[in-house]
Amino acid sequence: MPDSSSAVRVAGLSKVFRVPEREAGLLAAAKSLVRRRTRDVCAVDAISFEIGAGEVVGFLGPNGAGKTTTLKMLSGLLYPSSGDATVLGHRPSQREREFLRQITLVMGNRNQLQWDLPALDSFELNRAIYRIPRNDFRPVRDELVELLDVGDLVRKPVRNLSLGERMKVEIVGALLHRPRVLFLDEPTIGLDVTMQRRIRTFLAEYNQRYGATVLLTSHYMADVEALCKRVIVIHHGRILFDGQLAALADRFAAYKTIEAVVGDGERISLRVPRNETSQATARLLADHEVHDLTVEDPPIEDVIELVFARESAE
Amino acid sequence: MSAVPLQQENRVRAFAEFYLATARAAIAVQFQYRTANYFYMLGMVAEPVIYLVVWSSVARSSGGAVNGITAGEFAAYYIVWTLVRNMNVVFGAPFWEWRIREGELSGQLLRPLHPLHHDVAYFGGWKVVNIVLWLPIAAALTAIFHPTVHPSALQIGVFCVAIWGAYLVRTMFQSNVGMLNFWTTRGAAAFDLYMATELLLSGRLVPLKLMPGWVQTLANFLPFKWTFYFPIESLVGDLSTRDLLVGLGAQALWVLIGLALLRFTWRAAIKRFSAVGG
Amino acid sequence: MNTLRVAALYLKVGVLNELQYRVNFFLNVLQALIQVATGLIVISLVYSHTPRLNGWTEPELLSLLGVQILLGGVIHTFVQPNMERLMEDVQKGTLDYALTKPEDSQVLVSVRNVRIWQLVEVISGLTLLGVGISRLQTSVGVLDALAFLVAILLGAVMLYSFWLVVTTGAFWVVRMEHVLELFEGVYQTGRWPVGVYPGWMRYGVTFLVPVGFAVTVPAQAATSRLHGGTFALAAGFAVLLFAFTRWFWRFGLRRYSGASA
Repeated sequence: MPDSSSAVRVAGLSKVFRVPEREAGLLAAAKSLVRRRTRDVCAVDAISFEIGAGEVVGFLGPNGAGKTTTLKMLSGLLYPSSGDATVLGHRPSQREREFLRQITLVMGNRNQLQWDLPALDSFELNRAIYRIPRNDFRPVRDELVELLDVGDLVRKPVRNLSLGERMKVEIVGALLHRPRVLFLDEPTIGLDVTMQRRIRTFLAEYNQRYGATVLLTSHYMADVEALCKRVIVIHHGRILFDGQLAALADRFAAYKTIEAVVGDGERISLRVPRNETSQATARLLADHEVHDLTVEDPPIEDVIELVFARESAE
Repeated sequence: MSAVPLQQENRVRAFAEFYLATARAAIAVQFQYRTANYFYMLGMVAEPVIYLVVWSSVARSSGGAVNGITAGEFAAYYIVWTLVRNMNVVFGAPFWEWRIREGELSGQLLRPLHPLHHDVAYFGGWKVVNIVLWLPIAAALTAIFHPTVHPSALQIGVFCVAIWGAYLVRTMFQSNVGMLNFWTTRGAAAFDLYMATELLLSGRLVPLKLMPGWVQTLANFLPFKWTFYFPIESLVGDLSTRDLLVGLGAQALWVLIGLALLRFTWRAAIKRFSAVGG
Repeated sequence: MNTLRVAALYLKVGVLNELQYRVNFFLNVLQALIQVATGLIVISLVYSHTPRLNGWTEPELLSLLGVQILLGGVIHTFVQPNMERLMEDVQKGTLDYALTKPEDSQVLVSVRNVRIWQLVEVISGLTLLGVGISRLQTSVGVLDALAFLVAILLGAVMLYSFWLVVTTGAFWVVRMEHVLELFEGVYQTGRWPVGVYPGWMRYGVTFLVPVGFAVTVPAQAATSRLHGGTFALAAGFAVLLFAFTRWFWRFGLRRYSGASA
């Protein structure tokens, strides 16, 4: 029985794709017409995790790590090769209506709205598809429109919107049915910094207001830092790390940075091994006249890069 | 904040609302593209006009009629043909190929509703635009080719139902052919074979009366005839009341057969799709 | 000269690209078979009800069908893929990539794509033409064959010009994808002698959409029924149409650059 406090539960989930293998050359090509050689690729390899209701979790990994495949399995688009996934007590691959009605999947590079119509018309369509009673629909729509500040955009045909404007409108459409679980695949991809920030604050606000569960992938660490306390790092289909974002650095970054202002205002920056931080700080304080001192973890981008670099080296 | 609960008594109304909303969206979009739609429809008109002039020419050279069909009757047949041909444009096999290739299917699958509903509703709405755009074409063709046609009130009534019956029959069978795209990237081959068979056995090429006897018999047992020959003949032919009603019944039967088949093929297709991904 | 080299290079790349999709070959063979079969069925159906259609006997009409399919194959291979690409480019705004290259723009947009497997239609068309001619009473000489080749070339030029003029319209009307259906529909008129069409339509398919000219003239040459006058007219018309196309393309391009600025 699913635990009522966990919205997403994944146990030993795997997905194996069979891909055709082709060699170059005409002879090989002719052969492949008759008998196709295939190779199994394990996109997701026995991953397990749990996400509590209302949690916002960042799903990190380089391209091809298995993030999108996992999101697709969780939203019922892909059937797992083995293992179990439960979302809100439903098995996604059964694609029950009750399940689909409570989730949403937003892909930053896909468009789900009617291209040639104002978004308002697409919203109306979604109302019919998700069977949202008219009385509930209006306030939700107006609230989302206000939160994202797209009041005048929803009246223009979607094709006339810029990429960022389209994404905002797209998000409104994806949330009209008040999904309890949000799967967001690169929702800020290709957007400028202001627009990214706008969407970030909106997602945080939405999560706070409605306690929705969010699983988010992004290449922008700023997204993750702003939204997710917890991150799951995946690489080559396997989970490398699952825990607090703050703990990621503790675990993978071998050094810290000490910045200090000493003597007559000279700024110095020291990179010291993690376990020697306190000694180094003490020595610095003892040997110099220190006006200001901070000890910091390296930027999260560097940590992540470190994680993947280490994994690939192994 | 939970999802809206589904109330059983509202199901029918919810469906009606969905169909209406989708059809309205289709009309809005397609009306924006009326120029493109007109090009499309004009391209379609070339085919029957060619058949018409060829057979009129044959009729003239063999004493005014071919197998009892006069030039005026050919004209009537092929002018109504143009409308029926438009009704036969459905969310078919090529669209399924596009839908899978472009990843549009994933979006459809995330919705708590079978995509077939969307397809029927959207193209149904589009038809409204087609019918409006068709009227001037029909008027022009009538002025040029002088069709002979005297339909009774019953015939007109049956025709109005039969064109939508044709739309549904073809939707079902084309969707079934479309399912092949889940297994092969060359679904176009099956589509071409379907179209060729349809051309010969549906009455699209010539009124089935002009075909050899065995072809006519064969056509009786296949769905194609009910998407072209029957709707056209119901208006311009001399079918008896009984034939008209049997025809509508046959359309209903083929819709049901197609639907039953689709239930089966759809399940297999989705299983396949969620195993290999988009 | 450089222009020709660029065109040849593009063709080569296009062919190499196409060779990767060998399955298309089987698909096109199937399509060609279906096309020939339905064509034959229609002709035999017509001639089961009449011995002559507008003065054309069955073998003559078979030759006409052969020429229509052959020429269609040439268009489908070299012209149509480029025009489709051009429309798409205008729609997506990616035409700029082609326009910023230091080469004649009309040549560039006309040689970027090629679908060699469509050449199957040229073979099936030639086969039909051969069968048609062999069943004719008259014999066909070397001069006829030469005239036929030139006439096919003229036909291809006319159809290319028509296609490009229509596609250039994409600069004004952005969504044009259905123009393909329009062309395919109208091209089917070429399967029948121009004479079966009522007067105004005959002029339409001869001069407006030069299908009649493009298909009927080579067919007449192959069946040695071509008059010198018709031949000269076709040649003159092809040159005129090509010149107009060139002017119209530049006109459209000016308008495109103005609008996108």
